[in-house]
Amino acid sequence: MSSIEFFDVRKRFGSVEALRGISFSVDTGEIVALLGPNGAGKTTAIEIVLGLRRADDGYAMLRGGSPRDARVRMQLGATPQETGFPDALTPREVTAFAAAHYPDPLPLDELFASFDLTNLADRRIGTLSGGQQRRVALALAFVGDPAVVVLDEPTTGLDVESRRALWTQLRSQANRHRAVLFTTHYLEEANALADRVLVLDRGELTFDGTPRALRERFGARRVEYVGPNGRTIVTTPDADEYVRELVNSGVQFKDLQVAAPSFEDAFLAVTGGSK
Amino acid sequence: MKTLTLLVAHARLMLAELFRAPGYVIPTVGFPAMFFTIFAMPYARDASSADFELLSYVAFAIIGVTLFQFGVGIAAERGRPWDRYVRTLPAPPEVRFAARIIAALVFGVAAGGLVAVVARIFTPVDLNAEQWMLLALYALLGGIPFVLFGITIGYWTSARAALPIANVCYLLLSFAGGLWLPPRMLPGIAAAVSPFLPTRQFAELLWSISGGGSRNAFHALGWLGYYAAFFAVVAAIGYHRDEHRRYA
Repeated sequence: MSSIEFFDVRKRFGSVEALRGISFSVDTGEIVALLGPNGAGKTTAIEIVLGLRRADDGYAMLRGGSPRDARVRMQLGATPQETGFPDALTPREVTAFAAAHYPDPLPLDELFASFDLTNLADRRIGTLSGGQQRRVALALAFVGDPAVVVLDEPTTGLDVESRRALWTQLRSQANRHRAVLFTTHYLEEANALADRVLVLDRGELTFDGTPRALRERFGARRVEYVGPNGRTIVTTPDADEYVRELVNSGVQFKDLQVAAPSFEDAFLAVTGGSK
Repeated sequence: MKTLTLLVAHARLMLAELFRAPGYVIPTVGFPAMFFTIFAMPYARDASSADFELLSYVAFAIIGVTLFQFGVGIAAERGRPWDRYVRTLPAPPEVRFAARIIAALVFGVAAGGLVAVVARIFTPVDLNAEQWMLLALYALLGGIPFVLFGITIGYWTSARAALPIANVCYLLLSFAGGLWLPPRMLPGIAAAVSPFLPTRQFAELLWSISGGGSRNAFHALGWLGYYAAFFAVVAAIGYHRDEHRRYA
């Protein structure tokens, strides 16, 4: 039994086809990233997984049941979008509230410790920073010790350092008995966290494979140097090999730079130029 | 028993949030007692006038709670990311509605109770135990159409518009319903429409407890029943319209 299964899911809003028949599954123990630009259909797909919306056609299953069924959602943990908390409440209050919905929730103090919230648990959420609020959101997703965790843009709006810290915490919560599906528009995030990446573009699934396969397909390196013919820019799948050859060839060069394509570039490549 | 646990969890969180919003608590709980002190106390010279004023202001308090708790509350929350998150939790949707009703009851008891306490201490109110019980019962029953009226406002107006609309309805209907001035003292137009207003019928229901008012309790209950049916339909349409747009 898959943790999450989509079969030919279609969803239309008026004249807009948000999902044009997408199929994928997420197995227990996997961390899967759903990657795509804004408007690609990520939110719609997630809303269907969470039981907030129903598919027009095809089916979406959560551990063999319909996510519209509250009992099935006992196996699901999710985050609120961005910083959508009631400001006046405390992390302890909202997590205790979420915990009340699950048969076997994690002890709160243990949960707070693993998300570095111990000292923040009794402060009003409105006084916490964006990064701290994101940690509260993650704690909500895991408090029920659910078999399936769905995170909608868990690190959007955070600085690089907070984002990395959050990745570490997320990784420590993933395990063999749990499936994690998260959306992101950071290629780097998918790369760092996911076992598998799904790329959604204009309502269609255009890639389903490992981050490595994604890199190989799209993640070329840009090598730049000033050589005999002036400034030279080369895009290559294997920068190491290219530089090795360049050095061995004895060609005079200076000002060598190797760079990953920007997220923008990678995105454009992945999504066939739409943005 | 799981449902009960959930209901307690939802109601607790809702109340915790409300009680930390002074902009909500003070007008909802404090205004009726404050208005009573300023506008009604000078007229409550004997038992019968004190009873009349008390009953009017209990109606005023209940109407405020229902319009704010349901009208403004629903309008403010239905688009919130937090509301969306709560829907992903494994709880049937009825739990959230039931929690809101509990929150409204808590505020209703607080606001109406405060009026009763003030009246009891500072005016020659004279109700016996049976009349107090009847007041509690009628306040709850008569509050039902206003709950539905509040839900109507909550689903048909935006978060921004709900507060002013609820306020205008609250104040105008209270005034024209004869909750502040006895009906015979109302000016022309207000006097003409007053008998047809749900606020007036709610007041008539409560006034009947002390033998005041013009009609008996059953007549008022009948009118309130029609209002309840009307607002139930409009509220249900609003609810389904919003659900469909947001979560179809």
